[in-house]
Amino acid sequence: MSVLTISNLTIKHREETLVQNIRLSINEGDWLALVGESGSGKSVTSSSIGGLLPRELIISSGSIHLGGVNLSSLKEKEWRTYRGKAISYIFQDYQGAFTPFMSIGAQFDEMLKTHLNDSKQLRKSRALECLNNVNLPAERVYKSYPFQLSGGQLQRAAIAMATILKPKLLIADEPTTALDSITAAHVLQLLAEQQKQTNCAVLFITHDLRHVRKFANKMAVMRKGEIVESGMTTAVLKHPKHAYTKALIAAIPSLKQTKERLVTI
Amino acid sequence: MINRLRTTNSVILLMGLFLIAIIIAPFIAPFDPNQVNMANRLKPVSLEHFLGTDHLGRDVFSRILAGAQTTVGTSFLVLAISLLLGVPIGLVSGYIGGRLDRILMRVVDAFMAFPDYIAAIILSGLLGPGIFNLIFAIVMVKWVGYARLARSTVLTEKQKDYILIAKVNGVGSMNILRRHMIPHVLGNVMVLATLDAGKIILMIASLSYIGLGAQPPTPEWGAMLNEAKAFFYNAPHLMLIPGLAIMVIVLIFNLFGDYLRDYYDVKNQNGGR
Repeated sequence: MSVLTISNLTIKHREETLVQNIRLSINEGDWLALVGESGSGKSVTSSSIGGLLPRELIISSGSIHLGGVNLSSLKEKEWRTYRGKAISYIFQDYQGAFTPFMSIGAQFDEMLKTHLNDSKQLRKSRALECLNNVNLPAERVYKSYPFQLSGGQLQRAAIAMATILKPKLLIADEPTTALDSITAAHVLQLLAEQQKQTNCAVLFITHDLRHVRKFANKMAVMRKGEIVESGMTTAVLKHPKHAYTKALIAAIPSLKQTKERLVTI
Repeated sequence: MINRLRTTNSVILLMGLFLIAIIIAPFIAPFDPNQVNMANRLKPVSLEHFLGTDHLGRDVFSRILAGAQTTVGTSFLVLAISLLLGVPIGLVSGYIGGRLDRILMRVVDAFMAFPDYIAAIILSGLLGPGIFNLIFAIVMVKWVGYARLARSTVLTEKQKDYILIAKVNGVGSMNILRRHMIPHVLGNVMVLATLDAGKIILMIASLSYIGLGAQPPTPEWGAMLNEAKAFFYNAPHLMLIPGLAIMVIVLIFNLFGDYLRDYYDVKNQNGGR
């Protein structure tokens, strides 16, 4: 069943078209990777799903449907019930993911209080369970302030927070770019586990084709605001059709031949 | 010496001492600050009257103590009202943005276009002399600074991911402002407020000196200076003492403000400059 359907989405800033005719559909349990160079419109697309576009950027045509709801027609107040509960985000900058002067626990609590009518104890035990699920020392992290945790811990806590309400769609906007590659692999592994448990759809924005190959079952390639190619990951990676996709794949340095110079795109 | 004051904790000590002095002033004053004694006028410094007596025979030491309450109390009141007015306006303006922001900021610009002393003199001149009109006039020139500062802090904070995440978690705007933004804003605002306290004290004293603020016989340092100027040749201490009091208190507040600024400045943890 399709969780998210984006049809013919065009986003403009004044006269300039940033994103054109985007068509995407993500099913339950899918992990869709959106790849492409910087400035290709990946993040603009992902922000538009959560209604987070800056005021100056306008959706000029097309629609975004989540389940049966047309998100692009929601009012600011109606958004609140969807954000966090139906759609959640993980961002690149783990250090900025939590408000610095509030403990992690307080921020979990605030989110749970917004969406649920649970008692205080129940909220806490939910948060602790969720932190436990991402292999964090739950009690300690719950009491900690963001600066007391490491980057990997923070990003795992961010994943816990993003999945605690079992959203239908999880948008991960370059979640590992700021982490070292070992921590990144751990974090993505965790994300994959969380996805299996909640069966949510993941929209994964990245630059790293290795992660795409390992985790995503579908992928879409963006360039200059348009999706140039999309399909099953294995098919796209093995038999790229578009010249840009071929160039992207050719740019991955091979471990076997190191003599040639890297290809510039 | 000033550098040493800055780097040690003596700033806090001075500030604390001064605040205690203000609170217990009525209990340690040897005389009623308004008690007239014409037989004993313009007396120099003596054991009975530590700082002499003024042209009506009132004890200057008692008047200085009582004046500290008037001057500093008034300046705190001015600060509090300016904060309560400026900070919410800045918060709302920065957070909501758009047309509301433009309108509010043009109002702020209009207030800022006048030099603060001139505006305060004109306003309290129009309203007539008196301590409450003075408070109103100074608040009118001071609140804009806090509105601007609160707004600019909100604008920087608004860009941060954690505000975005609070938003995507479904937290309402009021809660985001209250729980995720205000602590940041207050830190900055408190530093500006302490740095401003000295200026406001000076302003109150200045306006009282030219007769717009506290009216006789209210003991107030600026007004005391004003009353004393006719007797400068015979009793110079009448002008020197309130003048020195103003200087010392403004210095203490400025040092305290500097100290707070350094304390909150993460980039400058060593306090070096």
